[in-house]
Amino acid sequence: MSHTTLMLDVRGTAVELRRAGPGAPLLYLHGGGGDSEWLPVFDRWAEHFTVYHPSHPGFGKSGGLEHIDGIEDLVFHYVDVIAALGLQGPPHVVGQSFGGWVAAEIAQRYPQLVQRLVLIDAAGLWLDEAPMAEMFGTEPQELAKLLFYDQQHPLAVAMSSITDFTQLPEEMILNQLKAMEALAKVAWNPYFHNPKLERRLDRITAPTLVVWGRQDGLIPLAHGERYASRIPGARLAVIDKCGHLPVIEQPDKVGELVTAFLR
Amino acid sequence: MDFFFFHLMPWPHLPADYDGPAWVKCPNTNYDPKRGHEAYNRYLDELLYAEELGFDGLCVNEHHANAYGNMPSPNLIASILARQTTRCKIAVVGNALPLYNPPLRVAEEFAMIDVISGGRLIAGMVVGGGPEYYSNGLNPAEARERFYEAHDLIVQAWTRPGPFTFNGKHYKLRYVNPWPRPIQQPHPPIWIPGAGSLETMEFVAKRRYAYMGIPYFHKRVFKRNFDFFREACEKEGYTADPKQMGWLTPIYVAETDAQARKEYESHFWYFAKKLLPGIEISPPGYTTARSALKILTSRNDFMLYLEHWDQVEEGGYAIVGSPATVRQRMEEMIDTLGVGNILALLQLGTLPADLTRKNMELFAREVLPALRKHTPRPVAEARQAVGA
Repeated sequence: MSHTTLMLDVRGTAVELRRAGPGAPLLYLHGGGGDSEWLPVFDRWAEHFTVYHPSHPGFGKSGGLEHIDGIEDLVFHYVDVIAALGLQGPPHVVGQSFGGWVAAEIAQRYPQLVQRLVLIDAAGLWLDEAPMAEMFGTEPQELAKLLFYDQQHPLAVAMSSITDFTQLPEEMILNQLKAMEALAKVAWNPYFHNPKLERRLDRITAPTLVVWGRQDGLIPLAHGERYASRIPGARLAVIDKCGHLPVIEQPDKVGELVTAFLR
Repeated sequence: MDFFFFHLMPWPHLPADYDGPAWVKCPNTNYDPKRGHEAYNRYLDELLYAEELGFDGLCVNEHHANAYGNMPSPNLIASILARQTTRCKIAVVGNALPLYNPPLRVAEEFAMIDVISGGRLIAGMVVGGGPEYYSNGLNPAEARERFYEAHDLIVQAWTRPGPFTFNGKHYKLRYVNPWPRPIQQPHPPIWIPGAGSLETMEFVAKRRYAYMGIPYFHKRVFKRNFDFFREACEKEGYTADPKQMGWLTPIYVAETDAQARKEYESHFWYFAKKLLPGIEISPPGYTTARSALKILTSRNDFMLYLEHWDQVEEGGYAIVGSPATVRQRMEEMIDTLGVGNILALLQLGTLPADLTRKNMELFAREVLPALRKHTPRPVAEARQAVGA
């Protein structure tokens, strides 16, 4: 199954949107990298759902970064994106990492806008005893160790072998730099979290699944446990032999978990 | 020409086996306060000695959480100089405006220094280096926007009668009414350092401030940047005064060329290889993606990446030699760059007190007077001569 890519006008902001499949709407909110492109697991979900995969402001061809100064701006942006999609009812919302934080924020502020919620290795919380690792300013070799359980995964190998940035195509470096800037605008300080989020998680009414890679070295499993314990009725599913990016490292397992939960 | 004695106040005692960065995460257990007491006071002695030797001004600057320069608050040092000197200009190059909350504090502290010194402050204003954004929590993606707004607030605080209201995006103050106000009118001269961004140059040219070339680059980088700055001034409808440009350079003078290199070289490499690492950190959004890419791909022209002394000489990264050699090299550079301010870095890295003194004395007595008399060739003529 192939997906289409189009530019969506959202209140004057251009949003790059990838879409595939018939079925109930599934809005996927990507993380800081890797899953901002279309992945095989999205094809799998597109067999049962209409998958909407927008690029965040500042990523890919999406504009609007100049209006994003914090998480609240991003939430308003996605309220507008959902309206612009012209759906019959509220979508399922699936968010990974940074996108998971955004998903949790939407679900607690606008409970009626989310059908079912899936948080995959989501940012957004602060745990003194298990802080999220440093991402900004971390060399690719170190980042590969934080992100992947299997250091032989092709993407881990590719990241580990980057010793000189000038080896990479200019376009790739520019996209990466712009992506980091887009993340920094929201997530620099407080670092990848909203101090008020944890206390408001009980406002979420959508049935929620929390998915976590057991060996996530970037955002520890304790964050997943905290999310699951604070969101009413939430269930936690832990994927073994998996780091921070289940959609890349264990696509079959996470693909199946999410499909079963949303149907 | 004006000659400034510039001090970085470095930490010269990093262990020989330490090979991490000097910035952000260099453990502060490496800082020995007792040795720090000696270092600060020795460096202050050197700054005061520079006034005795005839320099026109003294420079200090601001850096946080690093071994490269131990002045997180340059205004504290400048206030000591305000009281203990009588003639020299006191240039703080500069306060990192976004790191002050609110930046009105810069207006207040600079005014105090200007008043105590009898009107001798030069007010330098900087965005703050990339590493500073890791050290203090400010969002690097907001750095430049905050800098421009803070600058506006400070200049208004100095020039508009208070109290008045300032309602910016980042800084909202109901009563801006600083006491004291500076002596110099309309306000102390403003210096802005730059590393080549056209936006900074246009900003400086438009307001007729002075543009300081950020150091540790190959001389061709300085030349290109000052040429662009002159063009920016022409676009504003005037010809840049050489006093609107300043060149910061490490200098070492000894009795002979061979002796100079012998006495200086190990201290230069301590600076380049132990104190510079980490300075190049550029957090996300600190520059545009295009600028960040340009920085990543132009490593050839930066002191951090040098390996051999020949490169130091070829690129003019430091001016080292006998008085005659240093005079000649500096005359060439002054002609090529067209600058009217020399910011002389005469202490560097581990260079000890006795050699620093000797360097200062030889420079002040054998080099500076000749350079004062040197009539710079017009820049256009110099460019033709070197086939630029």
